[in-house]
Amino acid sequence: MNIEILIPLLAAAVQSGTPILYATLGEIFTERSGILNLGVEGTMIIGALSGFLVAKATGNPYIAFVAAGLAGTCAASIHGLVCLVFQGNQVVSGLALTILGVGVANYLGTPYVGLTAPGFDPLPIPLLSELPIVGAIFFSQDLLVYLTYIIPVLIWIFLYNTRFGLSLRAAGEYPAAATAAGLKVVGYRWLGVLGGGFFMGLGGAYLSLAYTHLWTNNLTAGRGWIAVALVIFAFWRPGRAVFGAYLFGGIMALQLRLQASGTQIPSSLLLMLPYALTVAVLVLSSWWRGKTDEPGALGTNILPAD
Amino acid sequence: MSDAPVIRLEKISKSFGEVRANHDISLDIHEGRILALLGENGAGKSTLMSLLAGQSQPDSGTIYFHGTPVSFSSTEKAIEAGIGMVYQHFKLVEAMTVAENIFLGRSDRVWLSRKGLNRSVAEIANQYSMQVDADTQVADLSMGEKQQVEILKLLFRQSNILIFDEPTAVLTPHEANNLFETMRQMKADGKAIVFISHKLEEVMSIADDIAILKRGKIVGLMEAARVSSTRELAEMMVGREVLLEVDHQPMETRQQVLKVSGLNKDGLKDISFEIRQGEIVGIVGVAGNGQKPLVESVCGLQKVDTGVITLLGRDSRDFFARRSWDKALSYIPEDRQGLATCQGLDMLDNFLLTTRQGFQSGPWLPKHEAREKLDYLIKEFDIRPPNAALLAWQLSGGNLQKMVLSREFYRKPRLIVAEQPTQGLDIAAAEDVWNVLLTAREQAGILLITGDLSEALELSDRIGVMYDGQLVSLFSRTDEEMIEAIPQMMAGLA
Repeated sequence: MNIEILIPLLAAAVQSGTPILYATLGEIFTERSGILNLGVEGTMIIGALSGFLVAKATGNPYIAFVAAGLAGTCAASIHGLVCLVFQGNQVVSGLALTILGVGVANYLGTPYVGLTAPGFDPLPIPLLSELPIVGAIFFSQDLLVYLTYIIPVLIWIFLYNTRFGLSLRAAGEYPAAATAAGLKVVGYRWLGVLGGGFFMGLGGAYLSLAYTHLWTNNLTAGRGWIAVALVIFAFWRPGRAVFGAYLFGGIMALQLRLQASGTQIPSSLLLMLPYALTVAVLVLSSWWRGKTDEPGALGTNILPAD
Repeated sequence: MSDAPVIRLEKISKSFGEVRANHDISLDIHEGRILALLGENGAGKSTLMSLLAGQSQPDSGTIYFHGTPVSFSSTEKAIEAGIGMVYQHFKLVEAMTVAENIFLGRSDRVWLSRKGLNRSVAEIANQYSMQVDADTQVADLSMGEKQQVEILKLLFRQSNILIFDEPTAVLTPHEANNLFETMRQMKADGKAIVFISHKLEEVMSIADDIAILKRGKIVGLMEAARVSSTRELAEMMVGREVLLEVDHQPMETRQQVLKVSGLNKDGLKDISFEIRQGEIVGIVGVAGNGQKPLVESVCGLQKVDTGVITLLGRDSRDFFARRSWDKALSYIPEDRQGLATCQGLDMLDNFLLTTRQGFQSGPWLPKHEAREKLDYLIKEFDIRPPNAALLAWQLSGGNLQKMVLSREFYRKPRLIVAEQPTQGLDIAAAEDVWNVLLTAREQAGILLITGDLSEALELSDRIGVMYDGQLVSLFSRTDEEMIEAIPQMMAGLA
């Protein structure tokens, strides 16, 4: 493949990987606190719609972006309520959140299908975007992509270099130890759920505000599920999540290009590619089991002391 | 004991449902002294301490802290008051480093640097001459080292009242001695120490004051210096003469029930021996010298790919392919909460886990029949509280073990593999278990894995010593010369 095709492909990989990256980071943040949130897909699409509606109403994409994050937090709070207050089953609650979110977004979004809203346009960074190859791939993107160059680092610093991060990880690893150390485990799990929901909402907003500038139903198209799988691929580490998200972004971009090039392969098979890769990645990751940072108490509820 | 107590408990009572765990308990804890809480399983020691640690609240009674009544309504409050617990089951995050565990829950800094943490941990560790590397993952530590991490956590929090819940249960004798050294040092620093145990010798050697709990009440409170012998304590503890020796009559050995030859795997080095019906073969050794892979191979939990294991005359693969529920192999695992029982099932369901034979007709499990049998066994083995509907986690360790034993013996096994069968059990329960095992020789051969030398000597007809994956030697209980040499063999010196 020659370089004229490769560079735009890689740039597209970064772009289509970005929403998945936001969602994956959110899910890592949540799972590190011990809560499994399978509602990523629903949370993302609620974020996407909220961002779109706010952008349309205010004309300000920045406000819209933050609003999408907050909408994600609200959606995730349903999961928090079920799991942390009522000790409900985390798997079921997450699945319900996805079904609810997708349903609500499609219902409320139907009148807006095909309409556009102001969003984020590519904003090449002076000097850096002039760099050969790297400039075109990484530094000729939009602002929301640049944000994801910093956020994983911030999350990593939070998790590994602050006492709040240590406590959050302990809440997900072995809550009994955290309780014995005098920590409010449930509080840290709320932090994990709500903070994670915020990033998932941002991931959704990327789709409606930057990736496209318009609303269509089912905008997320399974990206939330890919994020859930990527968390495992990333061994629950923010750094590896970046790598994984771009890998999937690459497959999605490639798949689009192949369709456009008029190949003989049926398009439904090409559309399937990212999901086939998801299965492959999960199988591969399970081989490395034991070396991952999977939180020890992931998916378990904290029972109130009797 | 002239100075005022740092903690005074006055008429503390606590019930769980109908079970009175603590009843009218009054007790003083002094700085610079070691108070031993002695009692059988289920006597209420752990409940009492959980009240102090703020994990639960007393139904009635008052806790005084430096003379003023307080309520430890949460663990944070107890921690603030300087109360620190070293739990029997360590509260450590295995996937984190020693330093991270120690700083967990401390609120004096927001930013944590790995280097800075490690340095401050090393300082305190040196001060108390502990050798733990701050940068190691807790999962890679031995039990003794993990306990040191727990103690370091408390030292870092400047806890002044340290409560040790059966701290020696998981330690080797050498590690236990180190622990006692640390405890004495902390006592000299003016810390108040509460030491929960049911090991009489330990209590006599380390404690200044001894409180004896029995069925939720304090039945004796004395200075250790005034206690004449461990026998006196034991009598108070169980309320009857304790027979610490069992009557071991040799039995005629009959057909072979287990033959292991040339087992070479997972650290095991050419293990060969056989067990016949009518004998107990006790394997002693420091934990981690190959006992686990040996037991798991014999019990079919690991594949036997080198060497041959023959159970009841059949090759192990063949044996496990067509095993019958009774007259076969009974495994009494060390991990009675994880392996032997399902914590969330009641006693009856746990009973039926391995003992369905005789109760099932087609796909149905007529529970009332099993229930009758179990009620009989509960009485026979004196399992308390005697209620088959209790869930496994609601039983104390000793009673749970009795339930497991009653279940396994009911199956009339021909080969019994018992792993630390009396670990964590009180004297009366241990004695029951010993007698049951000795009687079981009539129908079975028994492989006993134990870390308790006196248990092995009391029970075994033949004794084997394991070190570094090898069966160093295997000899008769009458071979005094070899018995003398067991400690050296366990340490790999012979």
